[in-house]
Amino acid sequence: MKHPSEEHDLIRWIDGEMNETERTTFEERLKLDPVLATEARQMRALSASLRVHLPAEMKVPHADYFNTQIGVRISQMAQDDARAKQTSPGFGAILQWFRQPWFALAGAAALAVLGFFLVNTASGGASESMILSSYTPNTNVQARTYHDDGAEATVLMLDGLDAVPAERKVSGINIQRSEVEPELASTTMYDTKGIAVLMISRDALGNPMLTPRG
Amino acid sequence: MKAILSALALFFCTTLAFAQAPAPPDAASKLAIDGHVWGALIFATNDASQLTGAKEPIHAELPKLNERLAKVFPFKHFGILGQHRQDILREYESWVVPSRELFMKIDSKGPADNGGVNLHLQVWREQQVLVKSDAVLRKGSPLFIGGPPWKEGRLIFVLFLERK
Repeated sequence: MKHPSEEHDLIRWIDGEMNETERTTFEERLKLDPVLATEARQMRALSASLRVHLPAEMKVPHADYFNTQIGVRISQMAQDDARAKQTSPGFGAILQWFRQPWFALAGAAALAVLGFFLVNTASGGASESMILSSYTPNTNVQARTYHDDGAEATVLMLDGLDAVPAERKVSGINIQRSEVEPELASTTMYDTKGIAVLMISRDALGNPMLTPRG
Repeated sequence: MKAILSALALFFCTTLAFAQAPAPPDAASKLAIDGHVWGALIFATNDASQLTGAKEPIHAELPKLNERLAKVFPFKHFGILGQHRQDILREYESWVVPSRELFMKIDSKGPADNGGVNLHLQVWREQQVLVKSDAVLRKGSPLFIGGPPWKEGRLIFVLFLERK
């Protein structure tokens, strides 16, 4: 069994990669080692045969595509390198900040300021009504929500609604209290005199049904 | 036949008497409640002659309501057409019906911080739902809902969480 270095030397000898000194030394070994000499002869014959039957140069298939892909890969590697160079110093700088002796005091002060703003913001927002989400089934209608500080009110503005016909009489009701009848899924409403003025229930489609009708 | 007619007459008389008599004790008070709201339908217009003449009083906990509405809606005159005080029922839907044209369904979603209440609101215009909203209603902070145009003005729905 040949030692790996012997096989490597054999290949380099066949390929003509040895300098003058190395080649002389290796050929001296061949004279002393008949097994190695036999193998060298066989391999050199095989190599010569391959050189005869294969062209010295082969055209690269789809060379344009190959070159393009090489270019893309080189570009990606260049970008990766540039990104790594930009990130590493920044992260290192942050670590350096943490190591500074004044960082603890500065951090505590920043947290105190942040906490002050958070508490104030929370207490201010928590006293106002809020619209969390809105959905208008009619796609022609848009719902806008905001808080008006001047009016001290939360506004849900419905734009795009069809107008109520001007000739239609829109009358109001004054309801002071109501009673729910769960078994009937209805609510009876009473005015300030305690007289039942309206009952609301659901029709077969689940839509509200007012009785008596206006 | 006479017996049937007598029974029907008795039924109608009882029904009529019930309808005209003062309401029985508040059965709804037995139901769990998450709060109390006041809802009003307001007509906003620049033409005072278009106001309906309704003299509904403004809620005592809503001072300067007209001035506040004027800061949101570009009108000079505001008239309350109808109003409705309603308990927010914890387990059942609650209706706020200041008019037959525009009214609201409320489903409670439980208490919110600072005495508020989480609600699911639906504004209905007769048989059509105009908007569905999830909201947090807090005391002292009314909700103004800009509704449909009417005449040369606009209908506005105001919802307010009472302090009681």
